[in-house]
Amino acid sequence: MTHDFLVGFSKSFGLFYLIALSIGVLIYTYWPSNKKRFDYAAKSVLSEDDKPWA
Amino acid sequence: MIAQLTRNERQTALLILLAVAIGGLAMAVGGRDNLLGIHGAIAMALAIVMMFVVIGGYYAPEPTEDRTASYYDDPTKVGIIIAMVWAVIGMAVGDWVAWLLVFPDMTFDAGWASFGRLRPIHTSGVIFGFGGNALIATSFYVMQRTSRARMPDQVTPWFVLLGYNLFCIIAATGYLMGVTQSREYAEPEWYADIWLVIVWVTYFVLYLRTLARRKEPHIYVANWYYLAFILVVAMLHIVNNLAVPISLTQAKSYSLFSGVQDAMTQWWYGHNAVAFFLTAGFLGMMYYYMPKRAGRPIYSYRLSIISFWGITFFYMWAGSHHLHYTALPHWVQTLGMTFSVMLLVPSWASAGNALMTLNGAWHKVRDDATLRFMMVAAVFYGLTTFEGSFMAIRPVNALSHYTDWTVGHVHAGALGWVAMITFGAIYASVPWLWKRESMWSPRLVEVHFWLALAGTIIYVFAMWNSGIIQGLMWRTYGEGGTLAYSFVDSLIAMRPYYIARAVGGLFFLLGAAIGLYNIWMTIRSAPEAAYDMTPDEPVVAGMPAMQPGE
Amino acid sequence: MSFFGFHYRLERKTIPFVLAIVGVASIGGIVEIAPLFTIHQTVEAAPDMRVYTPLELAGRNIYIREGCYACHSQMIRTLRDEVERYGPYSLAVESKYDHPHLWGSKRTGPDLARVGGKYSDEWHVAHLYNPRDVMPESVMPAYRWLKRNTLDTSTLSLDLKAMRAVGVPYSDDMIANATADAYGQASPDSAQADGVKSRYGEATNVRAFDGVQGEPTEMDALVAYLQILGKLTDVAHTPVKQASTEAGK
Ligand code: HEC
Ligand code: HEM
Ligand code: HEM
Repeated sequence: MTHDFLVGFSKSFGLFYLIALSIGVLIYTYWPSNKKRFDYAAKSVLSEDDKPWA
Repeated sequence: MIAQLTRNERQTALLILLAVAIGGLAMAVGGRDNLLGIHGAIAMALAIVMMFVVIGGYYAPEPTEDRTASYYDDPTKVGIIIAMVWAVIGMAVGDWVAWLLVFPDMTFDAGWASFGRLRPIHTSGVIFGFGGNALIATSFYVMQRTSRARMPDQVTPWFVLLGYNLFCIIAATGYLMGVTQSREYAEPEWYADIWLVIVWVTYFVLYLRTLARRKEPHIYVANWYYLAFILVVAMLHIVNNLAVPISLTQAKSYSLFSGVQDAMTQWWYGHNAVAFFLTAGFLGMMYYYMPKRAGRPIYSYRLSIISFWGITFFYMWAGSHHLHYTALPHWVQTLGMTFSVMLLVPSWASAGNALMTLNGAWHKVRDDATLRFMMVAAVFYGLTTFEGSFMAIRPVNALSHYTDWTVGHVHAGALGWVAMITFGAIYASVPWLWKRESMWSPRLVEVHFWLALAGTIIYVFAMWNSGIIQGLMWRTYGEGGTLAYSFVDSLIAMRPYYIARAVGGLFFLLGAAIGLYNIWMTIRSAPEAAYDMTPDEPVVAGMPAMQPGE
Repeated sequence: MSFFGFHYRLERKTIPFVLAIVGVASIGGIVEIAPLFTIHQTVEAAPDMRVYTPLELAGRNIYIREGCYACHSQMIRTLRDEVERYGPYSLAVESKYDHPHLWGSKRTGPDLARVGGKYSDEWHVAHLYNPRDVMPESVMPAYRWLKRNTLDTSTLSLDLKAMRAVGVPYSDDMIANATADAYGQASPDSAQADGVKSRYGEATNVRAFDGVQGEPTEMDALVAYLQILGKLTDVAHTPVKQASTEAGK
């Protein structure tokens, strides 16, 4: 592996990786059936119930 | 405290302490002709003291089975107190060091008191001592509550907390004696580093074990940040500290890498210590305590997930912005700069998300200094990340690098964001933990808030001024095309700003000391008899009924 | 189970989630750092570069111990004003024997990458003893104890050995004579002095750096180190080489 090859790879790779990752994350967060789960989680921490659940 | 441990756990604790004491003894004997021996003796002495503590409580009655019906909070309580003690120590040394730049002769002709040895005590004391203990303590609190599960056992959290503080003590005493690797934010020598790996892996496993017991199906986002903090810091720590000791009985080691590779590795570590220690961990804190205190859910849960992956991804590329215009190859600098600018997006998404959460609760922000701490922290987080992305642009960095501007940026983040969010979280959790209606003196919280805010503003403005003046003076050309100012000219110009910074720092330190006092008095005051800790009704209306394990 | 169902499991099942964090977080670093380990293919060579003598290395360790790097950088950037103020900009090769690097991040004091030879030994000794004797406005701490403390030379061969283990070409001869060489370099009239030049080259500074011959002090070591900064190789002063590295960037 030459230096030039590694550098070329490094310079371009991040962009593809970033795009793929963004798509993955966006799909996950906006997947309709996840909405309920997220809403529940966001409210759940506000519960005053300060005990472990059995 | 010991009474909360089962008989078995008391025995385990004694065995662990015995092992540490023997390890310390071996170091003390093997390293008797150098500083490693002193550290061995310190470890041994602390382990023996702890053994006496455990033995003292050894025959106390065992805890009853109903302990499993509550969360295990003793380590959190102790961790919060330790964090505040480190805050006062670390900031006092920071302010002392600030005054040393005004009155350089306050060193008593002693090595331990000179600037170069005290400065890392400040940085490690506040980042690891104050920040680290606060993160460990709050993470124990948050992971149990968001999992609705108690920690799996009662020895491991103590091992993590106390073992971590052993590391901090070895670090700080080492700097006084001149034991250092010189790697910024990773100064402790190889044996302390190995110890920290053991502690840290245990911490990580404890976190996973607790999550595995969770009754909530979804892992709340605060845990994501805490987990990323633990994991990535482990990774960074191990790689950055690869070194060859000159002998197993000597403190000194030589880093595996040299020159450019070493600089890049160090700043890959250094910047991501900022990212995963000073940012991700504290974002975890914010995502739990801010909604809780404001009584409102996070504005957008989705946004918190998107920014999580953004931060995790982008930060790793950004380290090279610490090495602009150096011998580091140009393409690495460019990558670092590009990703640093993009980093602004997830950073502002987080800051905005926090502030939007408060929308509708502004009356609470006005009345409640604890919530105000958190609000100001979010503002400074937004400000610091904006500034950071700006400074990462090469031509800007040409001016700012090596100057006090960097120090200003650091403390906008450190005082305005890290310390403020921590104070907020601590003021919120102390009454919850000790089952008090409120802090001993809400007025003193108010006083602390204003001291902290004033101190931060004075500090940061002083350093912006001095940094930019410094940078400009170094590059100003006179009539004849020669440099207009000597280095000493710029030094003289700094003096008033150094005084201002030291005064601002004093305000901030005073605030922290008042905070410690207030916490202490809260603990000592009698609990409110009428305060009912566990109302069973969920207060949130319309929460979808989800069954555990769904 | 769809892909998104999988993603849901990802954060329900902690281990894959952990792996995802490691994956996302480690790529950037690997991609940026890995090519640097093949950098010798492009970086300027410095055949004339020598390693630190035991005394200089001991001085470097004192520089680390006292935290001089907290106020002084050793990295001249490729900017006109820096080159005019401090000398030719620093090249990667110049710190190839620096385990660890001491580039620094803060200039409370001036850059020291090329301070070697800029001042006399006497100046350094007086300055370190009390900077304000030389420069009244200085905020640098006084390091008087350096003059009082004799240098611990007993572990120097261990130091050289460890340096060799991480890739610095010290010979067996250098390692075996490390303690004697440290003595000789600070005592030009002693029997040990000749060995230093034969092992490290004729150009090596062999002087009583703190003004006193005999048992070297910590001051000897630190000044010996300061006087060699920027002098281990000439490559940065060679115009042709400079131009070619500029292009190489
Ligand atoms: C508090 C910050 C500080 C520390 C720590 C410090 N210095 Fe300095 N140093 C300065 C300042 C400021 C100057 C410029 C004024 C002067 O010459 O004293 C300076 C100047 C110097 C110079 C002269 C550079 C020149 O080109 O004129 C040398 C050499 C030097 N320091 C060496 C050291 C060494 C060696 C150490 C560690 C033992 C050290 N310094 C620690 C702040 C510091
Ligand atoms: C009482 C408040 C504080 C004071 C007076 C103070 C003072 C200082 C001083 C004088 C320096 C050295 C700057 C230099 O070398 O020119 C410094 C550096 C530093 N401080 Fe603080 N500090 C305070 C609080 C904090 C806190 C709370 C944190 C972190 C959570 C922090 C993190 C740091 C860091 C990371 C550096 C190194 C900066 C760099 O290398 O660029 N400080 N501080
Ligand atoms: C988008 C986010 C951020 C970016 C892009 C960023 C960028 C930068 C840049 C360019 C520097 C100067 C490097 C140099 O010239 O030497 C720097 C230094 C620093 N930043 Fe940030 N920053 C960010 C957020 C933060 C936050 C939130 C903190 C929290 C406290 C922080 C702490 C530090 C520290 C401690 C240093 C000093 C390192 C040193 O030289 O010792 N940064 N940052």
